[in-house]
Amino acid sequence: LLRYLQQLNSRGFHVDELFQKCLFEEDEKEMVLWAIRTVQPNYQLPPPPSPEICKSSLLQDFYSRETMVSYPKLDFSVKELQERFQQQLEMELRNTVTIESVEAAKPLSPQAVKARELLGILRSQWHDAILQALQSSKRSMARPRRMSKHSVLYPYMCLLPDEDYVDIMLQILNDLSPQGESLAVLARELGSRVYDRYIIQRKVRSRQLEKVQEIYENYIQLLAKDSQPEQYLPREYWQKLVAEAGFGPSLSLKNCSWPCVLLMRLGMHMLELLVKAVKVPRNILNRRLESKPIPVLYHVYSFYSNWQVGLIRPHPIFSQLVSNAAETTLTFSSSAMPMLCPPVPWTSPTFGAFVLSDTKLMRFVDETPQHQLLLEQCPLVNLHPVLDALNQLGNCAWKINQPVLDIIISIFNDKGDEKLDIPPPLSEAPKPPTPPSNSSAWSKSFKHEVFLCKKKAAEMHSLRMDALYKLSIANYVRDKVFWFPHNMDFRGRTYPCPPYFNHLGNDVTRAILLFAEGRPLGPRGLDWLKIHLINLTGLKKKNALQERLEYANEIMDDILDSADRPLTGRKWWMDTDEPWQALACCMEIAKASRSPDPAAYISHFPVHQDGSCNGLQHYAALGRDLSGAASVNLVPSGLPQDVYSAVAQQVEEFRKKDAERGLKIAQVLQGFISRKVVKQTVMTVVYGVTRYGGRLQIEKRLREIDEFPEEYLWEASHYLVKQVFNSIKEMFSATRDIQNWLTESAKLIAQSGRTVEWVTPLGLPIIQPYYRSRSTVVTPLCPALSCRKPDTVKQKNAFPPNFIHSLDSTHMMLTALHCLRRGLTFVSVHDCYWTHALTVDVMNQVCRQQFVALHSEKILQDLSEFMLEKYC
Amino acid sequence: GPGILTRSLLDAGFRVVALESNSDFLTDLQSLENSLDGQLKVIHGDFFRLDPLAKGALKPPAVSSDKVFETLGVAAVPWRADVPLKIFGIVSQQLERNRLWRLLFAMYECSSIYRYGRVELNLFISEKEYTVLTAKPGKSKVYQALTVLAQLGYEIELLHKEPWSSFATNLKNGGLAIPKAGQLPNDHFCLVRLTPQQNLFTGGLKPSNASTFIFMVKQSFAKPKSKLTDRLNSWSLDNSDALLKALEIPKNAAICNLYPEDYKRLFEALQNSDLFGETFFHDEVLASTRTMN
Repeated sequence: LLRYLQQLNSRGFHVDELFQKCLFEEDEKEMVLWAIRTVQPNYQLPPPPSPEICKSSLLQDFYSRETMVSYPKLDFSVKELQERFQQQLEMELRNTVTIESVEAAKPLSPQAVKARELLGILRSQWHDAILQALQSSKRSMARPRRMSKHSVLYPYMCLLPDEDYVDIMLQILNDLSPQGESLAVLARELGSRVYDRYIIQRKVRSRQLEKVQEIYENYIQLLAKDSQPEQYLPREYWQKLVAEAGFGPSLSLKNCSWPCVLLMRLGMHMLELLVKAVKVPRNILNRRLESKPIPVLYHVYSFYSNWQVGLIRPHPIFSQLVSNAAETTLTFSSSAMPMLCPPVPWTSPTFGAFVLSDTKLMRFVDETPQHQLLLEQCPLVNLHPVLDALNQLGNCAWKINQPVLDIIISIFNDKGDEKLDIPPPLSEAPKPPTPPSNSSAWSKSFKHEVFLCKKKAAEMHSLRMDALYKLSIANYVRDKVFWFPHNMDFRGRTYPCPPYFNHLGNDVTRAILLFAEGRPLGPRGLDWLKIHLINLTGLKKKNALQERLEYANEIMDDILDSADRPLTGRKWWMDTDEPWQALACCMEIAKASRSPDPAAYISHFPVHQDGSCNGLQHYAALGRDLSGAASVNLVPSGLPQDVYSAVAQQVEEFRKKDAERGLKIAQVLQGFISRKVVKQTVMTVVYGVTRYGGRLQIEKRLREIDEFPEEYLWEASHYLVKQVFNSIKEMFSATRDIQNWLTESAKLIAQSGRTVEWVTPLGLPIIQPYYRSRSTVVTPLCPALSCRKPDTVKQKNAFPPNFIHSLDSTHMMLTALHCLRRGLTFVSVHDCYWTHALTVDVMNQVCRQQFVALHSEKILQDLSEFMLEKYC
Repeated sequence: GPGILTRSLLDAGFRVVALESNSDFLTDLQSLENSLDGQLKVIHGDFFRLDPLAKGALKPPAVSSDKVFETLGVAAVPWRADVPLKIFGIVSQQLERNRLWRLLFAMYECSSIYRYGRVELNLFISEKEYTVLTAKPGKSKVYQALTVLAQLGYEIELLHKEPWSSFATNLKNGGLAIPKAGQLPNDHFCLVRLTPQQNLFTGGLKPSNASTFIFMVKQSFAKPKSKLTDRLNSWSLDNSDALLKALEIPKNAAICNLYPEDYKRLFEALQNSDLFGETFFHDEVLASTRTMN
């Protein structure tokens, strides 16, 4: 021991560092201390590091101890939160959750009963077949004399009980869509499911789980209503508890992530077993055929011009059986469900969100874990603001708007409604024409028609399944309060972790979400609800807020009618931009306005404030571009300015001139140029849309206009996109310059073989994950990370939009943190901010203050200095 | 370009119809047309954009083959009849491979120019593609799906080989317009005659099922070194061993070791098996012909 300690010293390490920098499992920490004390009996553990405070100038008052206020309480007691934590923990320990789908309410046909019976029998046969195949493959791998490429997988096939592997494989088989899935995707999925289970198992065995449990139970004290108020942020409080707990395993596991090659190989191996083992008698649906087992999965290739993708498809017999059975249970990974207790606060890039399931602070596209490295190297204190903002977003409690959910489910289980964005069931799909008796007579147009039908059916199926997942999860949590832990992408844009059902979803999902916490409407709340409703309709966009409010009061009859008789009345809500949210809002307005004192009415309803063209706002602010700023509402004005209309106007002027000069296409376009035609392109210009993409967008819009002559589509869209770009250049002069500077810098950086990096004003380090791609071939080893070269074109084209996105997310986080200080409930859908009707005014104020504060920083200068230091 | 091909054909005394895609050259060509007393006819169009898949009105230089043949005054003849028309052209180096594929598709389906019979092509293609077209079985990198389909479909004759150095092939930026091909020789421009085989549609192969055949060959060559029997098994064909035996194909033959004729025989044999009876193979063919074509 003495020798070890001497060696440690001679290499320039201090014993204290063992405890400050190393990660421990089980009782390792105690054992190390015991060992050291046998030679240095008086050795004392180093004191826990005093918490560091972030020094960002944007957050000086936020972090200042003097103005620190106590953290807002949730409407739950310690005991209730403990119970919820237990439920969440049990769910995560089970790894998957099986829930009834909303289709379960439908009556069952005799055909379905029979098909379910068959499937049940088949599944138990498959289970045995897979288990057998798995065990025999393990046996052959274990034979030491034959070193095959698979032997390296052997240890990874032994990590979990055999049953778990079988479970995972059967689950994959169940989830496979009739169209099949690419080999690489399936392999990765299988591999990562094994990894996820392994991680959970490790956390349980290393006693890390016990420690998290212990700390979480104390952490509840910060949030529960029946505990002492504490002047801490969730992250600070958690860190304090960890420091106080002293001994025991570390909360972060030692680095044990598996490289993607391994995940792929493991997945491929399991897939191979699955393809070989799972068979179905071919005559199962048609007794007249001879009985012969055929594989359920088959392997084909799809060709896209010059490259090919390997696919696994289910045999149509299997798909038919599954569709006949119309099974109504769905199985999700536990991390796909909203959390049943407040998320574990992010305290480091490797710890936070779910209790057990591994979650990345930053989502990454496969094979580019560079951000994770960057985050881990970054001093933790620099990440505090971002972690705190994510914790803030994740701590918002939600509940379900049950009346709206019920209406949606009733339509969903009936025939769906494409206009209302409720995908119809496959039974509503167009029927393919009946084929001529002899298949050689299939004409080209007939084939094409069949193909189109199939394509439509495939699209309908995926839309339907997507909606089914969302609604079923919503229905599952209909009586519960739940939370969405958040993480972010590489630019710092935040996302809820559960993938299917969350507030970032479409109109339907947003309409069924309510804040769990209720607040009185206050004096202005009802007015804000009404304005919010008009905003959701998409009407009155050019009118001032007061006029929108007046309009809402004018049509109060329609609003109340929509709320009272949504499906049988005049259905005013159906003809709006966001019908479901509009309906939910109508109902809230009805309840509030009928309550004896609307100002005291407790509302759970989120009111949105939507950003208008944020990208251009940031450019205008960066460039101090006055006329541009005025057109994107950065300057006080009685009426909302609409940059899209302004661009459309400018384009129209150009068109007129060209038409007078006799340009044919300009003449054809007379009367077709509108805000709608140019809107998407203007919106995406700042996010780097190219002429190519812009033309496609405009072509799509023109195609929607029935009167527009089809033969001119290409030429007209080509012409228009040019004019839109010219108009923007004219209106936002500084924007172009900034974009050019950013693009040029990125080009030079990428050409020098390096990757573009920057740091947001909140201190988040960012790296663009674009590298030259290689085709994903499953067997050979993936190239080492270091030798991958940046993709110059992508690095260059994506830098301006990514930089703007990172500013936008910074602004959102600043707003989130300052709203917390003002006691607001706050969540965001990127540039759309949500809060209670009572607090809309405060949020609006904070939002504006923080925009000004952000742009008072020397953003471009700082960027320039950073790049000079880093790359020159 | 400067019209080398057109000039030599005119000098040799042929009746020439020129498809010119670039409208800048059109005026001069048209005045030449007027001065030649019927020996030359000029059409604004691009041979490689005949019958595009996109719907809607055709905008020159995209043209429909019907229109071109009408102007030519060439009527459709049966497949087994003699060559009704000879076409000369240079395949541009961009998208060369795609253009060859499109011609193959058209031939197997007897559509576009091949609706009029066994039109003979005399094309300048890169040595690289020529090597692929004429590769022998066993060379897994060179012997491809394209090879099998081309050799079955065409009689391929090399008429002339001209080194690249005879052409001004530099790009504006000084770089070479002809990319170096890694493993294949690519030092020449090859004039190749592609005459459709008279006996192509014998046995089970018909223009109506040709897309299934093409699909089968492409699927097989997705993994050229794997065994044919593995491929057949992965399509859930369960009597593959018996089938291969009947065709006298060795059980462990690799995809890239089979002769083009073997694929045709395999296809004919599969016609009678249950594989093509299964709907799923049809679906695959439908989906893939859309994306491939």
